[in-house]
Amino acid sequence: MISLKNVSKSFDGGRTFAVNDVSFDVREGETLVLLGSSGCGKTTLLKLTNRLLESTSGTIEVDGQDIALQDSITLRRRIGYVFQGIGLFPHMTVEENVAMVPRLLGWSAKKRRERAHELLETVGLDPKTYARRFPEELSGGQQQRVGVGRALAADPAYLLMDEPFGALDALTRDTLQQELLSLKERLNKTIVFVTHDIFEALALGDRIAVLHAGRLEQIGTREEILKKPATHFVRELFAKPAKQLAAFGGML
Amino acid sequence: MAGDSWIAFLSERLPELWLRTGEHLMLTGVSTGMAILLGIPLGICAARTWWLRGPLTGGVGILQTIPSLAMLAILLALLQKIGAIPAIIALTLYALLPIVRNTLTGLEGVSPPVLEAARGIGMTPRQRLWLVEFPLSMPVIVAGIRTAAVVSVGIATLSAFIGAGGLGQFINRGLALSNTNLILLGAIPAAVLALIVDGSIAASQWGLRRRRSRGSRFRAAIDRCLRPVALLLPVALIIAGCFAYFSTSTASSNPAWGPPADDGQTVRIGTKNFTEQLILGELMAQLIEARTDLRVERRFNLGGTMICHGAFKSGGIDLYAEYTGTALTAILKQSVIVDPGRAHETVAREYRQRFAAEWLRAFGFNNTYAITVRKSDATFRNLQTISDLIAISGTLRAGFTAEFSERPDGYPGLRRAYGLQFREVRDLDPALMYQAIANREVEVISAFATDGRIAAFDLQPLRDDRGFFPPYQAAPVIRTEVLQAHPELREVVELLAGRLDDATMRRLNFEVDVKKRRPGDVAHEFLESRGLLEREK
Repeated sequence: MISLKNVSKSFDGGRTFAVNDVSFDVREGETLVLLGSSGCGKTTLLKLTNRLLESTSGTIEVDGQDIALQDSITLRRRIGYVFQGIGLFPHMTVEENVAMVPRLLGWSAKKRRERAHELLETVGLDPKTYARRFPEELSGGQQQRVGVGRALAADPAYLLMDEPFGALDALTRDTLQQELLSLKERLNKTIVFVTHDIFEALALGDRIAVLHAGRLEQIGTREEILKKPATHFVRELFAKPAKQLAAFGGML
Repeated sequence: MAGDSWIAFLSERLPELWLRTGEHLMLTGVSTGMAILLGIPLGICAARTWWLRGPLTGGVGILQTIPSLAMLAILLALLQKIGAIPAIIALTLYALLPIVRNTLTGLEGVSPPVLEAARGIGMTPRQRLWLVEFPLSMPVIVAGIRTAAVVSVGIATLSAFIGAGGLGQFINRGLALSNTNLILLGAIPAAVLALIVDGSIAASQWGLRRRRSRGSRFRAAIDRCLRPVALLLPVALIIAGCFAYFSTSTASSNPAWGPPADDGQTVRIGTKNFTEQLILGELMAQLIEARTDLRVERRFNLGGTMICHGAFKSGGIDLYAEYTGTALTAILKQSVIVDPGRAHETVAREYRQRFAAEWLRAFGFNNTYAITVRKSDATFRNLQTISDLIAISGTLRAGFTAEFSERPDGYPGLRRAYGLQFREVRDLDPALMYQAIANREVEVISAFATDGRIAAFDLQPLRDDRGFFPPYQAAPVIRTEVLQAHPELREVVELLAGRLDDATMRRLNFEVDVKKRRPGDVAHEFLESRGLLEREK
């Protein structure tokens, strides 16, 4: 379980807050989607969780341990992270990219290789075809599959995903979302997924946390949020696409 | 020069060409290597520490702006040493800028998402550097190394000025002897070497690249075989340089990297970088070789009085020919003494006290500066003395050696003594000075009285009617320590005393400067004709 208690983050010494007094729990095995428009603090929250950023106040606990008291390097190796910009290492092959965390953990070459091939299968890339390729030889969707593979490599219990499908075309995004769902079924990971796309949030999230201007507006299942929006902002947020859908529905 | 004689010239010089090329490669290789070992960590520091960035890049930038000869002279003064060591240090300092700057640029150019990913998956700062930042900035760093290596090959030609050998030695000697073939023998291989060095590093970079080779399986197989070879090319080049050097270096070819001659059985003879000095150096060297059991190491063509004196003072050379007037004014900074005998006594006394060195008896000629014009001008404008120039000096262009322009017994003193004010004064290389007056680019030069080119170029020295120039009696100067260890040296070297009058010296210079013969051959012929080479039992 990951739990945040009164977490705040300011980048300018306390004048403004990117994250403002946010508290919530991520339950074992669930997918929690952090939903909000850009600048709402959702990516900052994700980075605070694996200490790419340090919080200004409040505590974050992973498995009941305050992360501020842990070694940040060890912490990051225990938490899978899929980056918004993908961030594959361009000078390494797909196999080497996927096997990077095991390499940092000191696995043997043979074990790393086996693990990399197994993971490529998992994310739907044929190791025979792709293992020796370099990232620039892959499409955007394939690259992000490798990114997911890399995050899963050391079999972490938690997976943080920062708008992983944001840069992909709608069709590819749809496929990858479906695969992520089935992956989650098989692997039983706890996932924190950041997106600004309401439909993606509704499709993937067991629960959704709506963020606005650094504050948590509401957290709950999709039914709770759709039926009982806690604030004006949440209501507005979901009302608009609903209207659009209705309009499209009329046309069709 | 016709093709045949070029080939003959080349084949005759080939062993030395290998030797100098080897020296050149070793100078370049060692200094570039040191610059890499030093520059990359400095570049990393600059990239990591914001407040170091300005001072570091600024500092290595300033090093780059120091003129190469000045750098060599400064290092010579600081280290009190001639030869390969100051040259390597100078080359290393020059090579630092491109390496430090490119390392910094390369590291700063790594894409932020990749860096964030490296951090986010749990790499330590060191792992980030070695696994991600360094490999990704490699192309930029290698480009810096290529620049550094090519610049080093170029600048290494100057290290011959301080006796570090290399291809510059041909260029120096060519300049000293106004011998174009020698200059080209140094310059062309140096240019080719620069291309080869650059190419080898480029190949090495290709060997390092980890991209799957595209195209046929055959092509891929070739790539796989060639890559390791390409990777090692620069190393192979340095090894080839060492091989060229060691296979051709012998005691008589005066390698610059030889073991230090501290066996007490070797006399190191130096010379400045002009013809007369080279002949005097050869005369003394051949006499010592013929009449004693001592070995001679020739450290010729040192770049000027101050470098030669610096080397002498620090024990880099044991024996060289100096001129009384030069020693008095330029080295001891004393006033002019007109009487030749008293001048010799004075410098002898001062040298004994200040430099632990002895002046031996003078060779016999007085190589004074001679303010010289074209013979046609002298006739046409009726010029006989320097005073005759006073009225017309405002219309004349003068070409002086750099030393003459600066020395108190040179142009500054001359101008005061005669009230001369030339329209234009240019600093010229000694060899080019004669060329310039012959080509009518200047009207007045500071010739040497014993220079063979005065006759060859149809020039007329003007009489020093106000007695401004001190006597410049040439005499051997030797370190006292060496003379005490080998007292027989005095007798042997003084066999030359009084034997070289102005006319004789001018003739020997003429043989080399105008007839393009080698100083060693001319010296040998002279010694033989005087029966000085037979060793009495």
